Amino acid sequence: MSTSLIIIIVIAIILILMYNSLVAKKNQVENIFASVDTQLKKRYDLIPNLVSSVSKYMQHEKSILEEVTKLRSDANKPNVSDKQKIELDAKMSSALGSIMIAVENYPDLKANENVMHLQRSLSEIEEQISAARRAYNQAVTDYNNALEMIPTNFMASAMNYTIKDVFVIIEEQRKVVNVKELFDKQ
Amino acid sequence: MKSKSELTDFYYKSLFPVLKILDEDRKQLRYRIILIGIGFTLIYGAICIFIFSAINAQLDILLFAIIGYIAIGGFIYKLLIKDYTAEFKSKVIKPLISVIDEKLHYSSKTHIPKMLFNRSDLFSNPDRVSGNDYVKGDLDGISLHFSDFHAEKQHRDSKGRTRWSTIFKGLFLVAEFNKKFKGKTIVLPDTAQSTFGDLIGNWLQANNFKRDELVKMDNPAFEKEFVVYSTNQIEARYILSHVIMSKLLRFQKNSKHPVYISFIGDYIHLAIYYDKDMFEPSVFRSLLEYKVAMEYVDTLHLATGIVQELKLNQKLWSKE
Repeated sequence: MSTSLIIIIVIAIILILMYNSLVAKKNQVENIFASVDTQLKKRYDLIPNLVSSVSKYMQHEKSILEEVTKLRSDANKPNVSDKQKIELDAKMSSALGSIMIAVENYPDLKANENVMHLQRSLSEIEEQISAARRAYNQAVTDYNNALEMIPTNFMASAMNYTIKDVFVIIEEQRKVVNVKELFDKQ
Repeated sequence: MKSKSELTDFYYKSLFPVLKILDEDRKQLRYRIILIGIGFTLIYGAICIFIFSAINAQLDILLFAIIGYIAIGGFIYKLLIKDYTAEFKSKVIKPLISVIDEKLHYSSKTHIPKMLFNRSDLFSNPDRVSGNDYVKGDLDGISLHFSDFHAEKQHRDSKGRTRWSTIFKGLFLVAEFNKKFKGKTIVLPDTAQSTFGDLIGNWLQANNFKRDELVKMDNPAFEKEFVVYSTNQIEARYILSHVIMSKLLRFQKNSKHPVYISFIGDYIHLAIYYDKDMFEPSVFRSLLEYKVAMEYVDTLHLATGIVQELKLNQKLWSKE
């Protein structure tokens, strides 16, 4: 076999491997995003129930409740892009966080069984969303790295792959609660 | 759950009368061991000299004689301390464990079932297992098992002789986990990355065909110490939240030995690799010595503390 033929075969194998690894990375991102989406939907499904349970009590927080309802209807619109979903999720997390803090100000609400149940299912879903978000971010980081690093970047630009966004993880969620610090503050 | 100082208090206050008697036994035993040791060495030495002078001794026979000396000596030593060890375990270790939680049961002669070790999927399946000091029961409502465990694999060498190699030796612990999960997540000490560096190490880990998918964790300190494999990328992160990761890191630091962890079938399996037996009594050091006492208390606290440390007793709603 001539040397040039061997070289061509080796280059072809390298190109195939590069192509396949890029496709695998893209599919991994899409797969994990589908799981994130399922978890986010689960959370959106809890919203109407939550709003109806707390709205009677929360007269001062009407604006947050309205915002949550609006975010939910935005998320349920057809043709929402992945990027928009990520943005909606960030807004939703912070709005729900404010509602949960506000609940603490209403003793009746805090003791309400329905609200307690909702709070617990929300925190469970939040845990799952957080895990899914982290998995997604890792998959996107691997994908983006391949898009920017030599030699896969040439192949990626030929395939029209573009950089994807990651979820911004709120710094507060990452911190381990330090009891000592809490006591020191007082 | 008792704190370390409460356990130390119990050791010195409630167990003091027992410890004093045991310590007297220990002194007598030490005297006997030294006496028998000297006698044995003299007799063994004399026999060896007699044999060596009769035949033309080669180096390999000398080596054989030394190995024989260590083996017989070790056997005699074990025989001598047998009663004392049993006494120590039933009078000191057993009460110490029941004071942690009365629902914990202790058996000095048995070990964790082989089935639990195999289920953990941390090591290859052993051909022979042994161990002792099995603690089993409920702690704060969480089912917990741990014991000393030694797992070995059988090999045949080129001459057809049977050889045993150690797969794992150390403390093996199984506890109920507070989150529900379906897949399998395994956390191992990161040897590849620390030996071969990030780039090659990472490549080797990603191409480990014996394990499931590699999971890269977003905690750099954790990622440096451990490597994670899982059947499900999301579930691995659901189990290994940021809080759990930093707690496992701290646990590994406290144990001062390599730690292997797996999450399978709603249980956490923890293997701490070390060469010493957990609750063996000291013969040449006093039981009343602070350092000796702290060794027992520390080991017990490390094993039972896992429930509180990882907050296994605070079940998530989905598991109730």
